[in-house]
Amino acid sequence: MSQGPAAPPPEPAPDLEETDPGLARERTELAWTRSSISFAALGVLILKFRPAVGVPILVFSAVVWSVGRMPRTRSGSASRRVAMVTVAITTLAVVALVLTIAGHSTPGIRL
Amino acid sequence: MRDTCQRRTCDSPVTWKQKTTMSDNALQGDSEGTEPDARFTMANERTFLAWSRTSLALVVAGLGIAQLLPPFPNVPWGRSIIATPLILLGAAVSVLSYLEWRNNQRALRHGTPLRRTQLPRVLAITISVIAVLAGAVDLYSRVTRH
Repeated sequence: MSQGPAAPPPEPAPDLEETDPGLARERTELAWTRSSISFAALGVLILKFRPAVGVPILVFSAVVWSVGRMPRTRSGSASRRVAMVTVAITTLAVVALVLTIAGHSTPGIRL
Repeated sequence: MRDTCQRRTCDSPVTWKQKTTMSDNALQGDSEGTEPDARFTMANERTFLAWSRTSLALVVAGLGIAQLLPPFPNVPWGRSIIATPLILLGAAVSVLSYLEWRNNQRALRHGTPLRRTQLPRVLAITISVIAVLAGAVDLYSRVTRH
C-alpha cells in the first residue's frame, strides 16, 4: 500500500454549489433575466401601438439582460447597475403620467 | 462568461479599475467600510430587482388602465383617477427601492444592522386605497348609468 507518495486522487468535477453556496450568483443572474423579460414584455406590447417607444424599451431590455451577465467582482459597480434600472422605471412612469393626464385633451398622443 | 478579464479590463486593468472604484464611491457616497460578503451584496441586488419589477408592473397597470380600458360610462375621469395613483406609486416604489438598496449596502459595508423597510407598508396601504377608489368609481358609474 505505502509505496512512496501516492498519486493525488483525480480532481472531482467542480461542484457549483460548493464554490458558490446557495448559488447566489446564479440566482442574481436569473433575477436580472426576469427583470429583462419584464421590460421585453412591455416593449413588445407598446411596439404594437407605438414602435418609436417600444423599440427603445426592447433595447433597454437587452441591456438589462447583458448587465445581468457581466462579471461582478466588487460591489462597487453595482450602484451604477441599480441606478440605471431606477432611472429607466422612473422615466417610464413620467411618460405614463404625461400620457394619462394629456390623454383626454389630445387624442393623438394616445398609445 | 464569469471571467473577470473581459474586453476593456484586459487592456489597462489598473487604471480602469481605479477609475471605476473612484466614481462608484462618489456615486455611493460611501468609501469607508469593508467589502461585504459577495452573497450579501447579491441578495441586496436581487431584492432591489424584485421591487423594481413590482414598480414596473404598477406603472404598466396604470398605463394599461389609462390607455386600453374602455371609459366608464358617465365617469369620464374614471380611468385617470385610478391610473394616476398607480403610476405615482410605481415611481415611488422604484425610487424607494433604490434608496433602500443604498442604505442596505451601506449597512453591510459598516456591519451595522439593516434598517426596517417601509416599502411593504407603503405598497399595501396605497394599493388598498386605489382598490377602494376603483370600486367606488365602478359603482358610481353603474348607479348613474340609468
